[in-house]
Amino acid sequence: MVGLYCDFLAQHEQSTANMLGAILKQLANRGGIPEHIKEAFQEAKKEFGGRGLRVPDMVEILKKSTASLPRVFICIDALDECTAKHRRDLLESLREILRMSPNLRIFLTGRSHIDDEIAKSFGKTLRIPLSPAHADIKRYLEMRLGGDTDPYAMGDELRADIMRIIPEKISDM
Amino acid sequence: MSSGYQQAGGYANSFNNNSFNNIVNFNTEIGDEGRQILQWLSPLEPHQRHQGVRIDRLDSVGNWVLETSEFRKWHDAEDGSVEPVLFCYGNPGVGKTYVRYEASCLEEGNAWITNHL
Repeated sequence: MVGLYCDFLAQHEQSTANMLGAILKQLANRGGIPEHIKEAFQEAKKEFGGRGLRVPDMVEILKKSTASLPRVFICIDALDECTAKHRRDLLESLREILRMSPNLRIFLTGRSHIDDEIAKSFGKTLRIPLSPAHADIKRYLEMRLGGDTDPYAMGDELRADIMRIIPEKISDM
Repeated sequence: MSSGYQQAGGYANSFNNNSFNNIVNFNTEIGDEGRQILQWLSPLEPHQRHQGVRIDRLDSVGNWVLETSEFRKWHDAEDGSVEPVLFCYGNPGVGKTYVRYEASCLEEGNAWITNHL
């Protein structure tokens, strides 16, 4: 299982190469750094200033790395938060890796407007619409009310209203 | 399998802590060249964010997603018969990050078992 969080505030450093690199880094970290990665590193070091890996190199290395494991799960959060170009290249790279690695599963989260892009890269996907679950909201409110430093200032009626109205409002999101 | 995983086995009670400690332990084991290679692969450090989400979230929030038939189907498939990509979508603030966290913890447990057997 390897994961990645995208963030509006870090769009600049979240290039496709850096994102694929972060996936690779976690895979490499799991079972010791594979020889093929060490070799690529030594090759790159020979060049002036030592260059970074390019996206096609990363895709090739990721294919090898995922193929050597029984199952690999890649989770990427907030895919809509990276730039459109980086996202397109990332999705295309993942599609390319998937083609060679039937043992790879990919879990993505994001806002629904990137649905078309995902369909374009992967064709049919499994989809789950998310909205806050009533039970989750209630448990959160109970936790917050339980931590109230001045519980006597709040009457039972207000407490009951909070527990009833907030979950109702949030469910409309 | 690898020495890293065998070492992780000692902390098998908690996958959440385990996944983080595992990374830390490994970084000290892989030596200078290993650390250089990891840095060269990417400057991003996703496990740090993962740790932040772990601390912020309320236990088992988002669990319901793991019970859906879509998730089970996606997760349990061993071959190419099931779509390999699962997309969870929603409006800002509905808790996508926390669901993704929840899913990854489950995976962490399974990945660990898979690698161990």
